[in-house]
Amino acid sequence: MEYKQVIGRRRSIRYFVPYRPVEREKIQAILEAARICSQAVNANWAKAIVVRRDDLSEEDREALKTPTTTAQLDLAPVWIFWYGDPSAPTLGQTTLKGLVDVGALNPSHGWSHAYVDDVVWTQVLTPIMGNQAALLALTGCEAGLAICQAMLMAVDLGLGTGINAFNSEKARAILNPPDHWIPLWVQLVGYPAESPDGGGQRPRQPFESLYFEGRYGVPFERDESVVNELTDAGMLQPPAPLPWRLDEVRALARMFGLPE
Amino acid sequence: MTTEEVGGFATVEQWLQAHGSHWNRTAEEAERLRRLEILCRYCEFAERDPDALVANLLRETPTGRRIWLKRRRAEMARIDAFEGIVADGDPRRGRDAGNVVRSFFIHNGVALTATPFR
Repeated sequence: MEYKQVIGRRRSIRYFVPYRPVEREKIQAILEAARICSQAVNANWAKAIVVRRDDLSEEDREALKTPTTTAQLDLAPVWIFWYGDPSAPTLGQTTLKGLVDVGALNPSHGWSHAYVDDVVWTQVLTPIMGNQAALLALTGCEAGLAICQAMLMAVDLGLGTGINAFNSEKARAILNPPDHWIPLWVQLVGYPAESPDGGGQRPRQPFESLYFEGRYGVPFERDESVVNELTDAGMLQPPAPLPWRLDEVRALARMFGLPE
Repeated sequence: MTTEEVGGFATVEQWLQAHGSHWNRTAEEAERLRRLEILCRYCEFAERDPDALVANLLRETPTGRRIWLKRRRAEMARIDAFEGIVADGDPRRGRDAGNVVRSFFIHNGVALTATPFR
């Protein structure tokens, strides 16, 4: 699939074909995509535990639900529990020097082993690691980049996916993650039972209300020719709801015995 | 309690109005009566009227209305039990009835669902 189409076709899928397993190699590809995402300090902030729904007891499955994450958990055959690892930058002194060694951080931009040791590590990273609020924000942001790539890879592989809340206390008991990991999302993966376009691209705030040029308050004006180009490329798609969406949801609800 | 009486409760009016509005269609009279009969039966099963069923799950807080999660779980279990009784050997029939009750709660702001058939 073309890159722009992958972005354009991504939806938060909530109805999965419950009996169709996801190939292990596709799960690996999703994780591979997450691993090579952009990451500050070249540290692996995102960690994941992959669980197959049917390997869990019914009791554990129920325990992991929240009021807003319910039937989709039952329907998706694969659950990827994403965590943020705030201890990731403790290796920063080494990982940054590794970037210097491979020519990613270069003297042309002022980088050297000495700069990492004497400035970045002591004056930037160490204070950040001691600032809980900054560390949490950084961890969430950096792990989110990885999760985004994981979702887009799932779409590229023809899978349905979406990120959802989960009961992190129960997950701690069931999955046994390290105590310092921060629970973020469970990414559900499976073959979509709803149409992959999910009844249309979901509504967003107007472009100019989100993005600014030069300074805050000056909208970044949208060029319609760019909009048309991205529409032709499949990135910008017809907005939800498509005319048949309610009928589709109703049919899905009846098929799976869910309320209306 | 008769179906007519059940239909007069505020939460039932809210349910029918919101359901029709969401799905963009008004139930035919026979379907409306079927739903009310099922809800009526559930009220007898739970020994509460419709308004009391909803009120039991919600509480007012300084930051707005919240759901009692433990009570919600208990209500979900009660609906499952109701399904078993109504099913009479046909799980689909039981589920259809249970989903009428769930729909009543959902359109009164109580998020709950069923375990999907799979």
